[in-house]
This record gives sequence, structure tokens and C-alpha cells, in this order.
Amino acid sequence: MIWREKRVLLVILALLLAANTAFFFTYRVRYKNRIDSLDQRLAESEGKLNEARAERLAAERRYASYRKVERDVQFIYDQKWATQSERLTAVIAEIKKLAVASDLVPRSYTFTNEEAKVVETARSGRRPPSLDATEVGISYGVEGTYEQVRRLINLLELSDQFVIIDAIALSSQSGETLQVNLHVKTLFRGDRPAGEVPASKRL
Amino acid sequence: MKPIHLNLAAEPYRNRLPVYAVIVVASVLVAFMALTNFDTWYSYRHDTRETRAKIDKTDADAAQERSRAQIVTTQLNRLDLVRLDSQSRFINDKLAERTFSWSELLDRLEGVLEKDVRLISIAPAFGDGIVHLNLQCEAKTSTGLIDTLDRFQRDPHFENPFPTSEVRNDGGTYSFGLRVDYRPSELKGTAQ
Repeated sequence: MIWREKRVLLVILALLLAANTAFFFTYRVRYKNRIDSLDQRLAESEGKLNEARAERLAAERRYASYRKVERDVQFIYDQKWATQSERLTAVIAEIKKLAVASDLVPRSYTFTNEEAKVVETARSGRRPPSLDATEVGISYGVEGTYEQVRRLINLLELSDQFVIIDAIALSSQSGETLQVNLHVKTLFRGDRPAGEVPASKRL
Repeated sequence: MKPIHLNLAAEPYRNRLPVYAVIVVASVLVAFMALTNFDTWYSYRHDTRETRAKIDKTDADAAQERSRAQIVTTQLNRLDLVRLDSQSRFINDKLAERTFSWSELLDRLEGVLEKDVRLISIAPAFGDGIVHLNLQCEAKTSTGLIDTLDRFQRDPHFENPFPTSEVRNDGGTYSFGLRVDYRPSELKGTAQ
């Protein structure tokens, strides 16, 4: 029989066909699963990347905003408040100059100096950190008309110096003349720069 | 007569067509499937390599992002945030005090206080966008306190007026104190 004569060839062809068929189905199935699984892994990796990126951006934004606050704080401490040795005489001179400009020259001035403190609600119960600033108060009494007092107040408000009117007490004894007691205050930074971390905080 | 049987075929006659047909069809099929399988294998290798490379790159990027975030977090931890927060809040309070307009307040008090009520002292305390005022006044009549409270309540710039004391003086005048919340038109700081 001719089939028998060609049986080797036929068997080889049958084996090849079977092998190809098996490979075709198994590989196709595996291929699909693998691709799906890799796509899933890629999606997961991209998700993690986005998450990490968002975290990094949030941290950078936080850091940038703190740095900005730190710079602002530094600016106020250095430029507006400065140290007592840099600005105290200028403040006193300014107060006296404004009193003269409004024709309300006091006989006496009283000066106070105390460390600035945070008025804490102290939720944490921790001791509030040092602000590294001092508050200097200047009290003086003057006599004059209401218009003069308003002018003095206006001049103090417009002053280039960082002067805060803390309290005003008025009294009148005769006619239009008022006795006014003014308490103004200003702030100075300590000798250590505002942004500098105390030694105890450093690693 | 003897019949003559001539066999002219070189080989015995057999029908080989089905066998060859099977062999050809099977060979074509094997070749086609082999090509398809090779293509599948190649595509698989190629596609997965690309995806794997993408995954590796994405993982590396994520690790880099985490590392950068860690660096920023370390830098953040180095900042003394408690102190910075206290300082910025303190500065905000002081800037609010500094920008507070006494002239505007006095103008508004002039509009509220009656002619026979004199202001003796003012002491402000600054809150969140609001100023708590402690006022001491002197009135010529006994209704001075009530009238003043009434006028503060009607004025939109003032809120929650509340008396703290009233004393009849020897001269027939009345001294009284009151607390009132004042909403200035501008009360702001710069640092946050």
C-alpha cells in the first residue's frame, strides 16, 4: 500500500501539525494572558507613579509655601523690626518728631521693654516657642485740642516706623483742651536672625 | 489462439493522488501554522519587551519621585515649623494692629456717641478680622449708657455691645464702661 510507503513522511507531517496546533493554541492563550497581565502591571505602575508624583508635588508646594512664609517672617523681622541697636533711637526720634509736628509735646515719656510672647490658646499644652522679639512700649501724655489729637494719631498711622497705637485715654478738664494719654508700641527682633534654628533644634 | 496480455506500465498501477493530496495539504498547513506561530512568538516577544521596558521605566520614575519627595520631606522636617507658625501668627497679629485705622474708628465713634457722652479711654484687642473694644465713657445723664448701647446696636460697624460698669460720679455725671466688637473696613496682615 502506498500509504504505508509514505508513512514516515505522513507521521512527520502529522507530528508537525499537532505540534503547531498545540503551540498555536497554548501560545495564543498565554500570549493574551501575558499581555493582559503586563498591561495591568503597567497601569498599576503608572498609578503608583502618579501617586508618587502627586506626593512629591504636594511636598514641594508645602516646602515652597513654608519657605515663602519664612522669607516673609525674615523680611518683617529684619526690615520692619530690626534690632534695638539698629532702630530704637530712630523710633524714639520719630515719636518725638510727630509730637512736635502736631503741637503736642509731652513733658515726659515712659519706656517699657519686654519679651514678645504668643497669646496661645495652648491646645497642645506645649510651651510656646520663643518669638525672638521684644516689644517696646512708649507712654506719654499730652494736652491739646481734639483736632490736634486726631492729627497726632493720623501722623502715627502714616509713619514709616512700625509703630502701633496700643491704647488711648482721654480726659478733659477745661473747655476744648483734652488730656490724652497715649501708649504706643513697637517691636524689635532679637540678635539672632529670625529664620535661624536654635542650637537645641539642630541635629 | 492464445490472447496476448500486454502490460506496458513500467510500474504497477496505483492511485497515489490521495496520498500526495494529503501530503501537500498537510505540508501547506504546517507551513502556514509555523509562520503564524513564529509571527505570534515574535509579536509576543516584541510587544512584551516594550511593555516591560515601559513598566521598568515607570517603576524607576516612581522610585525617583519617591526619593525626591523624601528629600523634600527631610528638608521640611529640618524647618522649625512650630516656631515659624508662632512667628507668622504673631506677625499677622502685629500687622493687623499696625494697619488698624484709629482715625476710622474715631470717625465711627463720633457718629455713634451722643453729644453728652464723652469718650474717656479706648483699648482695642485684635481678633480674627474683628476688634474687641473696651470703652470707658462719661455721660451727663443717667440714660447715657442705655442710649449708647442702643446706638451701638443700630450701627452696622459695631456688634455685641455689652456694659461692664456704671458709676454715678460726685459731679452728677455717670461713668460707664462697655465692650463692643468693631468690624473695621480693613484688617489684614501679610505673612500667613
